[in-house]
Amino acid sequence: MISRAVIIPTGDELKSGIILDTDSPMIMQVLLNINGNCNIIRNEPLIDNEDIITNCIKRYIEKEVDLIVLIGGSGGGHRYSSTLGKDFTHSSLDLLLDVKYSTELYGKNGHLWSKLICGIKNKTIILNVPGPYKEAKAAIEAFKNAYIEDSNNLQIINAKMSEAVKMQYGSI
Amino acid sequence: MQNDTKVIVQVDKTVVKIEGVNVKGLNIQQLEELLQDKLKSMTRVIGVTGNSIEMDVYGIEEGDVLREENGIIKIIALAEGISVSDVTKLSSVKKIKSVDINSIPEYVENGCRGERWNLID
Repeated sequence: MISRAVIIPTGDELKSGIILDTDSPMIMQVLLNINGNCNIIRNEPLIDNEDIITNCIKRYIEKEVDLIVLIGGSGGGHRYSSTLGKDFTHSSLDLLLDVKYSTELYGKNGHLWSKLICGIKNKTIILNVPGPYKEAKAAIEAFKNAYIEDSNNLQIINAKMSEAVKMQYGSI
Repeated sequence: MQNDTKVIVQVDKTVVKIEGVNVKGLNIQQLEELLQDKLKSMTRVIGVTGNSIEMDVYGIEEGDVLREENGIIKIIALAEGISVSDVTKLSSVKKIKSVDINSIPEYVENGCRGERWNLID
């Protein structure tokens, strides 16, 4: 059961206040649906920097929280457009996690649209969701349903989350 | 233990970049809803800076987006946190191009497959 959870939004545009963080309250609501007694911390937004993101995750792992949800930074678009933030959440998780399952969603143009990872370090489940609100909502709701069904099967959790995000592309 | 799955998403989209805006405190959800009402198609805002917005518009051709330029600029001006001016414009409208998924260029550390395909072009 998830009793202590942390939500970590990422992105230079969030940190600077250019955009509002509407994902974190939505994710908090979904996590409270899993356990209404869960203590949830929303970390301040982190800039797109791999070391900063990695160190923040490590601090919460040491505190033995049950779940860490990272928001944003799951794609690879910054390589093609200067408007897009650099995507470091998946590379941070790749570095940190011993046990991990990931799904890479590529567009037909060959670009990485999103890489979703779900894994565990010590006792902490760690996963990421994409930044766009509807994709984040689909991902975290899929997590909730899969977690309730079988909290130990991270591979299925990752597969369900990825399928939910994939379904968002092109549908209103 | 680790397992990595790769999926190709076969969906068309047009990437639209708007420049010459002033952005502070933008509610992206509200902006996406306004654009979807206008374009009658799914829109995802994928990148925002203080003076530009980049978004994916699904199922609409480049020409259709360009014809709606003035309407799009008027619509985004309605969103909280955005102001437009005389210099606001659609600076880029590009439909994505398919690549041959059966011919994946050689792996590059920390690279994206798109980069590898583009190297072939």
